Amino acid sequence: MATISNDPSTQVNVALEVESLKKSFGGVAAVDGVSFSVEKGTITGLIGPNGAGKSTMVNLISGALKPDSGHIRLDGHEIGGLEPHQIGARGLIRTFQISREYPDMTVMENLIVSAANQGERLINVCFRPSVGKKRDRELVERALHTLVTFGLYPLRNEYARNLSGGQKRLLELSRAVMADPKVLLLDEPMAGVNPALIEKLGEHIVGLNKELGTTFVLVEHNLEIVEKICSKVIVVALGATLAVGTMAELRKNQAVVEAYLGGDVRERVGS
Amino acid sequence: MDIILGYVTTILVFFFTYNIFTLGLNIQFGYTGILNFTVITFMAIGGYVAAVLAMPKAPAGSGIYYILGLNLPWPIAALGGVLAAGLLGYLIGQIALKRLRSDYLAIVTLATGTLLYGLIGNGTSIFDGWQGLFNVPQPFAGFRTWTPLGYSIFFTIVTAVIFVFLWLFANRIYKSPLGRVMRAVRDDQDVVEAFGKNTFKIRMTAMVLGSMYVGVGGVLTIAYITALSPAGWTTGETFVVWAALLVGGRGNNFGAIVGSFLVAVVFNEATRYLPQIPAHPNLIPDIRYVLIGLAVILSVYFRPQGVFPEKKNTFFEVPLGDNSKTIEEHLAGGLSKVGEQ
Ligand SMILES: Nc1ncnc2c1ncn2[C@@H]1O[C@H](COP(=O)(O)OP(=O)(O)OP(=O)(O)O)[C@@H](O)[C@H]1O
Ligand SMILES: [Mg+2]
Repeated sequence: MATISNDPSTQVNVALEVESLKKSFGGVAAVDGVSFSVEKGTITGLIGPNGAGKSTMVNLISGALKPDSGHIRLDGHEIGGLEPHQIGARGLIRTFQISREYPDMTVMENLIVSAANQGERLINVCFRPSVGKKRDRELVERALHTLVTFGLYPLRNEYARNLSGGQKRLLELSRAVMADPKVLLLDEPMAGVNPALIEKLGEHIVGLNKELGTTFVLVEHNLEIVEKICSKVIVVALGATLAVGTMAELRKNQAVVEAYLGGDVRERVGS
Repeated sequence: MDIILGYVTTILVFFFTYNIFTLGLNIQFGYTGILNFTVITFMAIGGYVAAVLAMPKAPAGSGIYYILGLNLPWPIAALGGVLAAGLLGYLIGQIALKRLRSDYLAIVTLATGTLLYGLIGNGTSIFDGWQGLFNVPQPFAGFRTWTPLGYSIFFTIVTAVIFVFLWLFANRIYKSPLGRVMRAVRDDQDVVEAFGKNTFKIRMTAMVLGSMYVGVGGVLTIAYITALSPAGWTTGETFVVWAALLVGGRGNNFGAIVGSFLVAVVFNEATRYLPQIPAHPNLIPDIRYVLIGLAVILSVYFRPQGVFPEKKNTFFEVPLGDNSKTIEEHLAGGLSKVGEQ
């Protein structure tokens, strides 16, 4: 897995590419030379045991952390070391492992404020207030569509802080949709969510992938849903790539079963 | 009668300037979540700079020293003061907003304020040290021959007009897409950043705008009183502004007015009429701070969002009275006309 083809003809379909990425915290090598690539328009799973470095990878890719070394390429352009907002503006949007809504804003506002180019410049406030008003109308319409799709329409005027855990997960995903991302990097979107809602979230992800062509990278511990919606799964352990394949293939991979599935079982037994 | 009217105008000028301070802090803290713990420093810089721009050179041998002394007309001097306050906000923002989270930012602002306080007090040649500036020319003195009361009334009206303008502008920011993004930054900066928005720039905008607001209040203060010394802008004054905002309701500009009235006028002014006890000259000012502190504690305990909490923002609704169709049907039909009502 360490070698990644540099042949441009195979690169065309790559949305996101990570190469020999490293990040240490003091003595802990949280990400230790991980490499993988994600094809455009796919739903790719990123799995691995607790502490494998998945969230750290998400933080590195989204710019929240700066890599010690290695490359991250979005659509063939290096984005490693850029500021998070620069990466977000290039169309890579991430969500957080713990829901992070804007608590003192309504559900509707949570969505609208997440869209790009709202006309949020001071010059518009001073001299061209109509710019914001016009754009707001478009955004409200888009937000209404999104809210209806995600079943949050009845909650549109509720403060986001009052939502339940599951509703917050739906809000996070619908908010990400408003940003019109090319690549959506979801860090455990199903964590702490009941089985019925996991199904629903999975359907939404598949729907967005089909309708809008959004590329998804899904960090997830729920292997059932990963198996169901991911065409390709990357397994990481100890900060490096362990294996790549479909879930069915990975189940037969001895190293994966040892490091991940086995580890998981042992952990469960131990606790 | 004149004495009472003169007193009322003074209170009104005081009320409006405090309101302007509170609006400035609301843009920084209430909208954007920036903990500025040195609000009053921006008032001082705005006031001082406007004054030294408007005053003539300090007479040689008078023992009075200050920088500039350019004898400029007041409109230019006032603009200079406001820009200076904005520049100070920009400089502090460069240090504090780039890397620091809100709590560290609070410490940096407090430290910078204390530093500037010592620098201006001890640096006798900047704004005449602890003595402060006095005999600042009155902005409208040359318009006509004023009676003292006539001048005060005119000044009050000017202050009121400036306040109303700044109030409307602050509301306009709040309702604009910029204000919305500011509030998102207040709620969770990392998420706004992850959604591709430069949060440093947004916070800097709020920092500078708020500083300029407070600077306007400072210019009005020194222009009205015609004097300012460090005793007039101690750290405690910053917390009077904070108290006004917290009691009134952060994020709500109407709350800022009510808070300014309660804290800056009722508590601050009313306590001046308590009988002085000669043996304890500091008792009354201390009681004032105790009362203001009490008001904050009570309001945080019973009404954490303030007397007038932030209002919920709603957008146009469909079906707009047409209940024959479901929301899905409305959306399918397109909403292009809906927003125009
Ligand atoms: N800021 C940090 N400082 C020090 N160590 C950290 C930091 N962030 C993560 N780590 C360590 O790096 C390793 C990888 O953590 P990370 O959160 O990326 O794992 P993960 O794969 O997301 O795990 P989980 O499945 O539990 O979410 C862990 O050992 C963790 O303790
Ligand atoms: Mg994690």
